[in-house]
Amino acid sequence: MKKLHMIAIVFSILLMLSVTGCGSSDGRIHLTFQIWDVYQRPGMQAMCDAYTAQHPDVIIEVQATSWNEYWTKLEAAAESNTLPDIFWMHTNQLLYYADFGMLADVTHLYDDIDPNYYENHFSEISRSNASGSDGNMYGVPKDKDNGHLVYNKDMFDAAGVAYPNDDWTWDDLISASEKIYNATGKYGFMAYNDDQLGYWPFVYQAGGYILNDDRTSAGYTQPASVKGMEFYVGMQNYDWCPAQTYFTETSPATAFFSEVGAMYMEGNWNLPQLMENYPEMRGKWDIAKLPKCPDPLSGDGRATMSNGLCYSTGAHGKKLEAALDVIKYFGTEEAQRIQGENGAAIPAYLGTEETWRSAFDAYDDKLDLDIIFEQFDYAVQAVYNSASPKWKSQVLDQLTKVYSGEQDLMTGLQNMQAIVDTETAKKLADN
Amino acid sequence: MRKKSMENSKRMGKIITYAALIFGSIIMIFPFVWMILTSSKTVSESMQIPPTIFPSRIMADNFAEAIASLPFLNMYINTILMIIFRVIFAVLFSSMAGYAFAKLRFKGKNFLFGIVLMQMMLPSQIFIIPQYQMVAKLGFANSVAALVFPGLVSAFGTFFLRQSYLAIPEEVGEAAYLDGCNQWQTFSKIMFPLTRSSVAALTVFTAVFAYSDLMWPLVVNSDLKMMTLSSGLATLRGQFSTNFPVLMAGSLLAMLPMVILYLIFQRQFIEGIAMTGGK
Amino acid sequence: MKSGKLSTAARREQNWGYLMVAPTIIGLVVLNVWPFIQTIYASFCEHLGFGHYKFIGLDNYINMFRDSDFWRATGNTLLFCILTVPVGIFLSLMVAILLNARVSFKSGFRTIFFLPMVCAPAAITMVWRWIFNSEYGILNQILGTRIAWVTDSRVALISCAVVAIWSAIGYDAVLLLSGLQNISKSYYEAASIDGAGKITQFFKITLPMISPTLFVTMIMRLMTSLKVYDLIYMMVEETNPALTSVQSLIYLFYRESFVAGSRGSGSAIAVWTVLLIGIVTVFQFIGQKKWVNYEV
Repeated sequence: MKKLHMIAIVFSILLMLSVTGCGSSDGRIHLTFQIWDVYQRPGMQAMCDAYTAQHPDVIIEVQATSWNEYWTKLEAAAESNTLPDIFWMHTNQLLYYADFGMLADVTHLYDDIDPNYYENHFSEISRSNASGSDGNMYGVPKDKDNGHLVYNKDMFDAAGVAYPNDDWTWDDLISASEKIYNATGKYGFMAYNDDQLGYWPFVYQAGGYILNDDRTSAGYTQPASVKGMEFYVGMQNYDWCPAQTYFTETSPATAFFSEVGAMYMEGNWNLPQLMENYPEMRGKWDIAKLPKCPDPLSGDGRATMSNGLCYSTGAHGKKLEAALDVIKYFGTEEAQRIQGENGAAIPAYLGTEETWRSAFDAYDDKLDLDIIFEQFDYAVQAVYNSASPKWKSQVLDQLTKVYSGEQDLMTGLQNMQAIVDTETAKKLADN
Repeated sequence: MRKKSMENSKRMGKIITYAALIFGSIIMIFPFVWMILTSSKTVSESMQIPPTIFPSRIMADNFAEAIASLPFLNMYINTILMIIFRVIFAVLFSSMAGYAFAKLRFKGKNFLFGIVLMQMMLPSQIFIIPQYQMVAKLGFANSVAALVFPGLVSAFGTFFLRQSYLAIPEEVGEAAYLDGCNQWQTFSKIMFPLTRSSVAALTVFTAVFAYSDLMWPLVVNSDLKMMTLSSGLATLRGQFSTNFPVLMAGSLLAMLPMVILYLIFQRQFIEGIAMTGGK
Repeated sequence: MKSGKLSTAARREQNWGYLMVAPTIIGLVVLNVWPFIQTIYASFCEHLGFGHYKFIGLDNYINMFRDSDFWRATGNTLLFCILTVPVGIFLSLMVAILLNARVSFKSGFRTIFFLPMVCAPAAITMVWRWIFNSEYGILNQILGTRIAWVTDSRVALISCAVVAIWSAIGYDAVLLLSGLQNISKSYYEAASIDGAGKITQFFKITLPMISPTLFVTMIMRLMTSLKVYDLIYMMVEETNPALTSVQSLIYLFYRESFVAGSRGSGSAIAVWTVLLIGIVTVFQFIGQKKWVNYEV
């Protein structure tokens, strides 16, 4: 059976080729750059191209995967010391990685340029999003975002309701939803079981909090938090809000862009792709600030959650120096500008934020982008601590049980409080 | 009289048989038809109450969007390469091991075969992280070789081919031995060709299961360009959440090559699978 | 052999044996057995993060046995098996028998029933979710109902089972059909002459003769069902309120190990699942002696 030998030989050759193919030895430094958002690939690629134009001895390969697998893989990679050379870090996970010593400390990365580089060029939220529990920087701030209202102009017109404006309160949200539902039969505000794009901002608007200032304890059972939760979860009882089971099958965005509902909360990072993906809807919708709480227990009733990513590299990477030089560049005004101009995300670098507007240059129908930039004035940092990966999905489970009627809101909140406190205490004890 | 009633009942039987088969076929076909119909609707059209059956016009937009979001060409190639390599490995190594387990005497054979049987009981999800770490340490993550990796050996293949070697009479091997063949020659020249139909069956089986592997490619390969069709399609859901028309268009594009192959080679496909039932 | 000394020929044969099983065995040990041993070890540990484990004895198991979600997942898995194995095999057998009758267009029917096997599971679950959609789905439209097929905790598991059966029916039917085709026609002719009706023939001839194939099909289906993950994962996302009444053991394992990062307790679930599969398989092999007919 000559064939069998042949096959074996041919195969081993092919396998050798495919293995060696990725570690090519052309004397240049090959870096991998792992991201989780396909839509941002062009922006990231443009930054890399700009870097490699100045450093011809470096080649950077941008790899885009999906959110879920990103974290499974990244942790497994960190464990076997095979992290990508450069990668995005999310606040949800940063503390977990940083506290374990997995990320390179970049606090002094810019000391040669300006010892206060971070303070001078990035907002407090951006810096906080990239800091470990020890206060050191474990990533270079990449971008920032916030959550806002998306509304269907046609439906507001049809119901004779004025478009949402800066002074909108919770009451306006309710009454507009009601009027639209009565006039058109379409859903009003689609309140979806989510944290950052769901109940979090409402809790803060009411003056409550999810985690206390040093992130050691939760605030679910604080009176103000309860007030926010009661309002947010209570919206589901209106006829104009679909049940949570509806959203399991039809996401709020899908419902909105098929003109089934009039409003929902969206993150600004999704806007360019929504414009792109729903051409027939362009011009029919716009964005507005989140409504404020009319009678907050403390504060002025305004809040939205703001989050931001950063560029990190592994603490023990084999090409640490090269990788550090790249992320150093990524934090410069030039690179952040490229990121914004390519519409990838709102740059974190102060003064370059507005470059992100160019993401919408291609469309004749404009969105009221000003509100996003204005919302940063009172945005709250998205809440995370080093135990986040442990409690995040458990907390959501509890809320699901509230929504489905398996438990009442107060029981749910007490459970959520207990889960966050226990997991956090456990994490603190382990460290 | 009696004959007539028998003929009647025979005809009735025929009618029932056909009715049942046609009814079953409709249930089997319907989801595909619905997929095709949905793939050319707009989102708002797909969400009408009551649902519209036919799209108002044949629309390629959804296909364009799916193609813009997924590198289908790369995914086709990756899938094909992964299947080819997994099949070659499964056939080569399983044939060798199957032959040895069936025909050769060596110490610890039952224990070693026990390992093969045990593997079939283990859920593959528990291997994902350890296997990923092996691939990462060996430095070939994000490659076709990484896609092939968990399929290097096949417990099922070994088990299945052992059955077919057991079915070959002992005399065949003895005759080869008398002709002066060594064990490898007996295996590769005499025995292996005799299991041709089982090998074909294993080929189909391996191909079908490699094709439907979802988690492994997602974890081991970091870029969409290195995904297989099944896994790439799963990521489309992350991008379009519940925009079903686009998802349906993507599904159709991902399914097409395998379905066409199947329609061409359906006899081999089905006979191959039929053999994996044993005997 | 008995004295422990082997003749040259026997030793050579033994060496060949080792050589030929080596790739497979080494592969299985490295790829599967060793990770499984690690899983067993991890099940007695707490995962501190990034592969650092702390030995905690039986705590994971104790917590697991106290966890109602775990028992529900075990129940869901068994219920899923009960739904898919007997019903699925029965339907497959019906299809196989129909196809075995003298019908024209036989290969066409066979092709149709087998079609889901060659489709990506991601594609299959997507279209079924769309069909099942309670608001805009075609199924409720046809039936004139308003059932929340995938979000109502009472029916979601059944919906998943329907998709599983639909996907596998062709595969199982093809296996069973090949078993049916091996039954010699002369048995039926003899039975007809004896005046046995169709139903008697089925129980006296078809069933015993096909029992070995039926057994193999059943074992394979049972294994797949006990290990079910992909299908349920894609039908029912983590935010689905019906999750706890649908998630299988491996799904729970995935959420513990991969999402929550608690690989210790995840591993305990995995070990439990393997034990369960082992027990069920042993029972199957004991049970088969009662009904599987190997005389032919």
